[in-house]
Amino acid sequence: MKVNPELIDEIKKYGAFDISACFNCGNCTAVCPLSKEDASFPRKLIRAGHVGMEEKITSAIEPWHCYYCGECSQTCPREAQPGEYMMALRRYLIAKYDITGLSKIFYKTGWLQTWLTAGLFAAVLWLYNGYTGDFGALAGKIEMAFPVYVTIAIAGYLLNMYRHAIVKPLGGIKASLKPAHIIETFLHGFTQKNFNGCEETDLVRWGSHLLVMSGYTLTLVISNFHMLEPLDRQYSAFSPVSLLVWYAGFAIIAGGGVMTLRRLFKSAESSKFTHPSDWLFVVMLFLIGLSTVTTLGLNVLHGPADPLLAKVYRVNIAIETVWILLVVPFTKWIHIFFRPLAVYFQHVRKEAEAGTAFSL
Amino acid sequence: MSDMEKIEVDALVVGSGIAGLQSALDMADQGLSVVIVEKRPSIGGKMISLSKVFPTLDCASCITTPRMASVSHHPRITTLTYSTVDAIKRENGVFTAAVTRKPRYIDEKECISCKRCEDVCPVYLPDEYEEGMGAKKAITIPFTNAIPQLPVMDPEHCIRCGACARACPKDCIDFLQQPAPVEIKAKAVILATGYETTPMTAKKQYGMAKLPNVISPMAAERLLAPHGPYGRVLRPSDGMVPGSIAYVQCAGSRDKSIGVPYCSRVCCMYAIKQAILLSGSLPIADITIYYMDIRAFGKGYEQFYNNARAMGINFVKAKVARITEDEKHNPILRIERQEGSSAPEEVKHELVVLSQGLRPGDDVSRYGLGAELNDFGFVKLSDETVSSAVTAGAGVFAAGVSKGPRDIPDSVVDAGSAAMEAISYIRKL
Repeated sequence: MKVNPELIDEIKKYGAFDISACFNCGNCTAVCPLSKEDASFPRKLIRAGHVGMEEKITSAIEPWHCYYCGECSQTCPREAQPGEYMMALRRYLIAKYDITGLSKIFYKTGWLQTWLTAGLFAAVLWLYNGYTGDFGALAGKIEMAFPVYVTIAIAGYLLNMYRHAIVKPLGGIKASLKPAHIIETFLHGFTQKNFNGCEETDLVRWGSHLLVMSGYTLTLVISNFHMLEPLDRQYSAFSPVSLLVWYAGFAIIAGGGVMTLRRLFKSAESSKFTHPSDWLFVVMLFLIGLSTVTTLGLNVLHGPADPLLAKVYRVNIAIETVWILLVVPFTKWIHIFFRPLAVYFQHVRKEAEAGTAFSL
Repeated sequence: MSDMEKIEVDALVVGSGIAGLQSALDMADQGLSVVIVEKRPSIGGKMISLSKVFPTLDCASCITTPRMASVSHHPRITTLTYSTVDAIKRENGVFTAAVTRKPRYIDEKECISCKRCEDVCPVYLPDEYEEGMGAKKAITIPFTNAIPQLPVMDPEHCIRCGACARACPKDCIDFLQQPAPVEIKAKAVILATGYETTPMTAKKQYGMAKLPNVISPMAAERLLAPHGPYGRVLRPSDGMVPGSIAYVQCAGSRDKSIGVPYCSRVCCMYAIKQAILLSGSLPIADITIYYMDIRAFGKGYEQFYNNARAMGINFVKAKVARITEDEKHNPILRIERQEGSSAPEEVKHELVVLSQGLRPGDDVSRYGLGAELNDFGFVKLSDETVSSAVTAGAGVFAAGVSKGPRDIPDSVVDAGSAAMEAISYIRKL
């Protein structure tokens, strides 16, 4: 195996500033309730980082099993912040799997992504405001274009993760076709039930995550199928689409609001260290929820011709546009896909070991 | 107060553990007059409650008791037991210490140590000398080889039945005794304040002292001592002879999360010693030591460690992260086994000893002697490369663990060095 002596310094650029204090005692792995016999972390990954085993790190799926309850960091005899190291590894892996290389730049340069996002938002909003045609129709086309762009962006990540985590270490294309494994993968994706495997269940964190997750998924459905047409139709407060939007919007506002507060007051171990990309993520989510709810609210109250609604809707679409263009394909967002996939890849590896995996 | 007891000596020694005893003897044998102040009812410190010492497996009390006897019979040494040092001032090169004798509720001059008061007392209490495992009376001589052989009454738990007063042949029970101030004038002070072990509650994940079969190493010493609470090794919860015993190393050391980042030095060795003694008293028991590194730091210690390995004691490189128990109070340790497959694992034992660390026995900075403390509360030496006893305070010297964790041989050696420094300081005055 090739050794990269600069590996640990590279990982430190993504967080994990204290990890060199680690003396490899294994307290973190032993205290971690999610660490299992077939997926043991964080100590092994810290060791791999220290000795520069780059392929061990880039093929690791364990970082995605970690939900950062922070118990390892709280009990670490060296205060080496193993939990934050796992977080840094997730950032490092996102950057590694990103074909454009932009995630890497965004992670390493702090607020650059945020400034670009703000700039792009201003530009897009200016364009939308200057558009003299039927904005409702334009918004429909824009929203319909989102899934195409996002699918291309995500496909790159997923293929790259698959290549690093399965193809390279297992020496070929392997898959698991057992329905139970596939169902479990989706179950993890939607419920993130491993959150509650943590010793001291942080229900607030899991709850806010679940709210955001469900609200956000719903928002995706609503916007990608262009279900909400506030400039063309009058919605009643309790129409089916309205109910969906209310739930999605308020779930995001509540969940995102809690997340923001926790980061502000550093109330949990997991929210002690905040990377600018984390701020961008929660604040943008919050704004999406807020602008969507406001759009529908104005429509319900004042009808589709309301001049304020026209402005707010443009803001809403502008936020969604920069979110899709600059936030979704880079940095934190992609973890939504990586976590359930890691569960799946774990099964693939086990099956490959047992010789029962589907292979090409 | 006009009738306040006043003592004038050459040197004051605070603490009567093995370091305090040794430095007092060394100074007194050189012709100096010495007073020792000890907060506990007996001199002898921690060492007198140990079973054996590493690496020679000599009997601890066989080494300590002769020194205790020499000190108590020495014509130039005065011992004040059950007394606390409240303040020490230095003026014109003379130290004045304000000491309080705590009331034993007996007349110390009249008592003939016949123990009749103890025999008739109807109140049984957990014996702290046996780490709570045995029972003692509310009026009791602290332990069999205590010096002085004077009983102490526990006023909190005494029921004032008067049985002891009626039984005492010398009529020396005094329920109304008050704390008595003592003024000590000395030319030099030796701090031999020793250590306390880190508490059983130091690490939240280790059961917070609520698991009956997770015990302290001092309790294990008492279990192993020939005159211990049960006379044999039994586990506290049900009196079973444990068939599997584990040592959790670094349970109070090298852990920033509990505020003790330093290595306490002696824990590896006392755990190995206890493991060897245990395999003597329980020949078929499995004994496991979970360690981060074994630090066998002194002469013959590595040999001692290798002997333990050869005897079949298991050494597992793993930091214990969590201790729980099953319904039978068998402790369960969660570890990561680093050898082989390297996976988190839960291991059950029948008795677990937490190898607690050492922390300062007293905050000597409150005396205002000018002796500085290091980051961890131990006495700081003015220049370690020049002297192992001289502190920043003029005339103030430090001996034993008051300066930082060390074992018994080292404490004895540098108690001698503290005595030498004090003597030469006094001669130059």
